[in-house]
Amino acid sequence: MLHRESGVFKTSYAADMALYPLPIARWTVAAIILLFAVVLPLSLHEYYLSVINLSLIAIVGALGLNILVGYTGQISVGHAAFMSVGAYTAANLAVKLGLPFWVTLPAGGLMAAFIGAIVGIPSLRIKGLYLAIATLAGQLIIEWIINHTPAISGGAQASIQVPRPALWGYEMKTQGQLYFFLLFFAALAILATLNLVRSRIGRAFVAIRDQDIAAEIIGINIFRYKLLSFAISSFYAGVCGVLYTYYFGIANYEAFQIGVSIDYLAMIIIGGLGSVLGSILGAVFVTMLPIVIRLTMEPLAGLFFNAGEMSSVIASTRLVLFGGLIIFFLVVEPEGLNRLWRNIRNYFRVWPFSY
Amino acid sequence: MNYTTRWLGAAVAAGALALAAGAAYAQDKEVVFGLQCDRTGATQTVGIFLCPGYHDYISLLNSKGGVEGFKIRVMEIDHEYKVPPAMEAHERFKKEGVVLESLYGTPQTAALTKKLEEDKILGTSPGFGTAAAADGKRYPYVFPIAASYWSQGAAAVAFAKKELGGSLKDKKIAYLFYDNPAGKEPLVILEDLAKSESFELRIFAVPAPGVEMAAQVLDITGRYKPDFIITHLFGRSPSVSIKELKGKGYPLNKVVSFVWGASEADIKAAGGFDVAEGYHTLQFAGVGTDFQVIKDINAMYQAQGKPAPKEQEISVFYNRGLMIAALHVEAVRNAIKAKGGAKPTSVDVKNGMEAIKGFTLGGMVPPMAITPEDHEGGGWVQVWTVKGGKLVKNGEWFQAYRDVIKKHLAAVN
Amino acid sequence: MWDELQFAVSLIVSGLSIGLMYSLIALGFVLVYKATDAINFAQGEFVMLAGFVAALALGTQGVPVIAGVLAAVVVMVLFSFALERIVLRPLLGRPIIAVIMATIGLGAMLRGLPPITVGGETRAVPLPIGDAPINFGPVSLPPIQILGVIVTFGFLGIFTWFFLKSRMGIAMRAVADNQQVAMAMGINVERYFALAWAMAGTVSALGGVIWGSMLGVDVHLALIGLKVFPVVILGGLDSIAGAVVGGLIIGVVESLAAGYLDPYVGGGTKDFAPYVLMILALMFRPYGLFGTHRIERV
Repeated sequence: MLHRESGVFKTSYAADMALYPLPIARWTVAAIILLFAVVLPLSLHEYYLSVINLSLIAIVGALGLNILVGYTGQISVGHAAFMSVGAYTAANLAVKLGLPFWVTLPAGGLMAAFIGAIVGIPSLRIKGLYLAIATLAGQLIIEWIINHTPAISGGAQASIQVPRPALWGYEMKTQGQLYFFLLFFAALAILATLNLVRSRIGRAFVAIRDQDIAAEIIGINIFRYKLLSFAISSFYAGVCGVLYTYYFGIANYEAFQIGVSIDYLAMIIIGGLGSVLGSILGAVFVTMLPIVIRLTMEPLAGLFFNAGEMSSVIASTRLVLFGGLIIFFLVVEPEGLNRLWRNIRNYFRVWPFSY
Repeated sequence: MNYTTRWLGAAVAAGALALAAGAAYAQDKEVVFGLQCDRTGATQTVGIFLCPGYHDYISLLNSKGGVEGFKIRVMEIDHEYKVPPAMEAHERFKKEGVVLESLYGTPQTAALTKKLEEDKILGTSPGFGTAAAADGKRYPYVFPIAASYWSQGAAAVAFAKKELGGSLKDKKIAYLFYDNPAGKEPLVILEDLAKSESFELRIFAVPAPGVEMAAQVLDITGRYKPDFIITHLFGRSPSVSIKELKGKGYPLNKVVSFVWGASEADIKAAGGFDVAEGYHTLQFAGVGTDFQVIKDINAMYQAQGKPAPKEQEISVFYNRGLMIAALHVEAVRNAIKAKGGAKPTSVDVKNGMEAIKGFTLGGMVPPMAITPEDHEGGGWVQVWTVKGGKLVKNGEWFQAYRDVIKKHLAAVN
Repeated sequence: MWDELQFAVSLIVSGLSIGLMYSLIALGFVLVYKATDAINFAQGEFVMLAGFVAALALGTQGVPVIAGVLAAVVVMVLFSFALERIVLRPLLGRPIIAVIMATIGLGAMLRGLPPITVGGETRAVPLPIGDAPINFGPVSLPPIQILGVIVTFGFLGIFTWFFLKSRMGIAMRAVADNQQVAMAMGINVERYFALAWAMAGTVSALGGVIWGSMLGVDVHLALIGLKVFPVVILGGLDSIAGAVVGGLIIGVVESLAAGYLDPYVGGGTKDFAPYVLMILALMFRPYGLFGTHRIERV
């Protein structure tokens, strides 16, 4: 009754190919946009906005990784290295040439895409774990190059301070202002990915994931599309790195090491490989999990432990819970949060007449 | 609802009311500190000793009535040595109204520098962060409050000079360091001093994770054969370096280590104090349990019927936690006094921090003077050497080559 | 001139011995992959766990060394059994990324356990061998590394005999080759999976004791697991000889890179020189030096 799919007649090709053809979907999307663009920034305290900001940046990165791993079936453990490539490119351009953010952001993304395509070259010969380790090698080599090239890293400290993003002289400093800045790019990334996976390129990616030899036989140039997948995924990673840079006001490669790559892999696995909603849910989940654990445990633990012991207990519990949840999701629901959502939605598709 | 449940409900309600009342009362005469720590990440072997030290000092203070009538509440957040949780921690602290933050970790300090300035909450970064942050004019809300890596580098050279008979001319010094920005930071100072003191300097990098450095040590001891070795290592690598150098027969009394390769844990992991005999370490806080404040803390624990905290065994890190907490408290004390007894804001506390002079906590804290220009406090270090099974004080607090450091600070800012 | 030569020889010998110790860890990884097709990203954490057990056992007074080592072996074997049953059985047949992520998650859990259970401070694994290095002519090695070399060769010998000559070894090879046919032949596949994990657990236990003695046992010990990957990729994921040869090559390359390349580029080459070598090798031999060529069936 809520999710009525019958009785919807489309009269043009455009209406048929639209992203959200059903009225209920359109209303939902409009409500979500209203919520995020107007209601939340006005009603939430700055602290909660800062948590949402971190999630927004993570969404962009997770979308990129899901394109590569979920849709094209490759493995990459080097996602964080591309973020640092984008971060340093943008930081150098912003500081040395004084370029504004709407130039440095795509520049960072393109540089990361270029490096990503190079790192992806081995994917033409090797698969599976071998590819994972080759991308790990890429991560370490890129880190080393940034660490040892003062021209890129800005000196021994390897961190470059960037000015806050400014739009026609209006500097974005507070969490609220940065919220809109990040929301814009996160929305753009979501929209781009939704359209990418419905397009010819997206279908080629899925074909490569499912049966790459068959895909080659029917004429898809695997060479080109695998490299394209790496490039696009790294573009997202580069943009994510630039967003981190502008959010923190500093580019520092130590923030983009192997642990971060693993975090993003966890995001897309928990969220669901091969789905846009999965990337979003996974990114939000992994970013907020430590915070939620801490917020729920603090009042409870405060009854039993004093301040010092409490933080030790909370910290270790969080780590065990994080690993445990990954394993739980893999064993119980391998398709992640996305599948959980689909199950709920499918239930409501025919509610209340499910017989 | 049966008898038990009703009583249980009443007890819970009473408990909640008591907590709420207690909390409401505490709000008035309470100052909140924010403590960022790493208890589960890459540097947990430091955090699990340092942060309890911080908590213990504050507990001792509160048990004696607090600071100028105000109790202190410490909020600790573990950021696993990652940057986004550190940012979230700062926002959380801001929401709770902290007057200062104790930062932890170089990338975290770098990421929060700008935000701290915008939010006007000071952050302390002893023993990490950038050396350039010592310049209080350029970074008004970042306080190293302990010798930066530049000061440590200068002090190591001065110590080597003393040990090698007063002159470094034509001597060879090797610098063994962890290959990350923190490890590379002292290079500018060392190279400058190599020129001015006419010694030969060769650098040897150990890449992460630093658990294996046989080739570097072989290069140092077999080919270069220096007169002195300065090491700047973290994590597990200090103990590996001690073992390797000893194994290749290099005298450990010609080795001096920066502050993070200097703890009892590293010496124990290297095989014990008898293996590391002669090893010199730079410290920015006093070592060992022979201080009045530690005796007071143990008395406090005893009064509660608990044994002394076992974190004191690694006194190098535990005492650093004490020192940081003590300096924070002094800053708040100065702020409250300056405000005539009223509750201070974070800006007041920043001014209070910049007024700290001559506070030594029985010798545990160096005689530093924090001023609006110098947030480092003077770059004081002390050498402690492994002698006869424990760390023994080797000289008093000293500074070295302040003019060289000031010159570099001016150049970089 | 003689100094230079001695330096070079010392570097190579040191690299060979460290390389063999890498192989000790890699053997655990290869055993599991060879028999069960499962990839263990948490090999370093296994070594750390074994190290903790050994450190705790040997840390209490009056416990003989052999008991401590045995305790580590028993705990690791039981742990491997439990792991195989609870986590890996349900993941059979899933895409490889799922198994990788499961072991990564497991690694995170294992890293989080020490601080809440026994405390995260560093412990030593006291072994009754001296610290003074033993000299072989111009080169010298610390006794713990010599012990490591002996243990690795011991395992190499045992496993080679096991897989080539013993009945159970041949059965395990059959299971690794083709599970279905092995089952048809009457081989109890589940039992051999468990056996493979038990063997891997034993190797990890010895690795934990030796590496723990060398480095000290705390959460950082798990980092040694990162070294496993270039070794097994270079040698071939399912080849025991490959694990040893790969380890030797990686050890020597690291050593020589640190000794000769570092002064020119300011250090750090030791970290990624093995990976560069690995990528080059993969371009020409995608399955490693000794790995079996997987024929893809469409």
